Amino acid sequence: MSKHHALDRFGMSGNPAIRSAAFQERVSANEERMSLEGAVNKTGILLFLTVMAAAVSWNYQGPLMTLVSGIGMFVAFVSTIMTFGFYFFFVGWLVEPRPYNAPRTAPVYAIGMGFFIGLISQQAESLYPGIVIQAVSLTFFVAASLLLAYKTGVIKPNQNFLLMVFAATMGIFLTYLANLIYFAVTGNNFFVLTDNGTMGIVISLFVIGIAALNLVLDFDIIEQADEQGAPKYMEWFGAMALIATLIWLYIEILRLLMKLRSR
Amino acid sequence: MSYLTIVTGLLGLISAFVFFYFLKFKASTKQTQRKDRIRWSKYIPYKNETLVGDTEKESDDAKFKDN
Repeated sequence: MSKHHALDRFGMSGNPAIRSAAFQERVSANEERMSLEGAVNKTGILLFLTVMAAAVSWNYQGPLMTLVSGIGMFVAFVSTIMTFGFYFFFVGWLVEPRPYNAPRTAPVYAIGMGFFIGLISQQAESLYPGIVIQAVSLTFFVAASLLLAYKTGVIKPNQNFLLMVFAATMGIFLTYLANLIYFAVTGNNFFVLTDNGTMGIVISLFVIGIAALNLVLDFDIIEQADEQGAPKYMEWFGAMALIATLIWLYIEILRLLMKLRSR
Repeated sequence: MSYLTIVTGLLGLISAFVFFYFLKFKASTKQTQRKDRIRWSKYIPYKNETLVGDTEKESDDAKFKDN
């Protein structure tokens, strides 16, 4: 029994209006429910949009495309905040999550990030030929391995797992934010983030590990939303969460491979 | 194209297929019938907006009555 008395009692009341079953019926009467198949299809659509935008950005390099990629990344960031909200330690939700925005924000996010990853991938490929195929393959390999581990119950995410992954993700986010500010002021990056020595590689592996564990949380969100008969828009929400983590994982694997190749 | 790139490319294709194929299936009961699962509905308000508002209001009343 958790400390949250009201939450523990949620759905257990004798009042038929607030009993879980009645609640589910009211939801189902109003709208279509999500399915795992639908979430998979949406993930496929978002991945297709990301690849298409990346292909455009890859083939038309130049100052205009750099600007488009920058705008794309900014728009993707705004879409993320509009959908997943923004939580900060000790402060709480600065922006509340709005999953019902996902059908509109998810394609925008996919296209915006597609332009950005197309640009960085092309630059990485011109420096180290073959690196993009390796990074994409390793991303899917990690994702498929964790999916199997999740589906078979080898990895069982619980509240402690969530807290650990969330704290580590926030730590990485704050480090990257501090690095961005440092870069804007001095024109340099934090040494440990770009270092191709042992320390830099260990940090990259740690970040990849955390990004991979975020995938497990995404699988759990999709699975549970499907079990509980969540509204149809949760298909887009789950797919967006999955694509966001896959893109993050891809970027981190690409960075690691670049560090390894530059040694 | 190097041998390593071809091998990793094939690995990627197989992994992508496995990923999209198994994503459609429900997780095992070992995963879904645990008592310590994360309750995502606590963090993500994925129910109908008006209904969630009504329910929270009413469940607070219920808590008050219980106490």
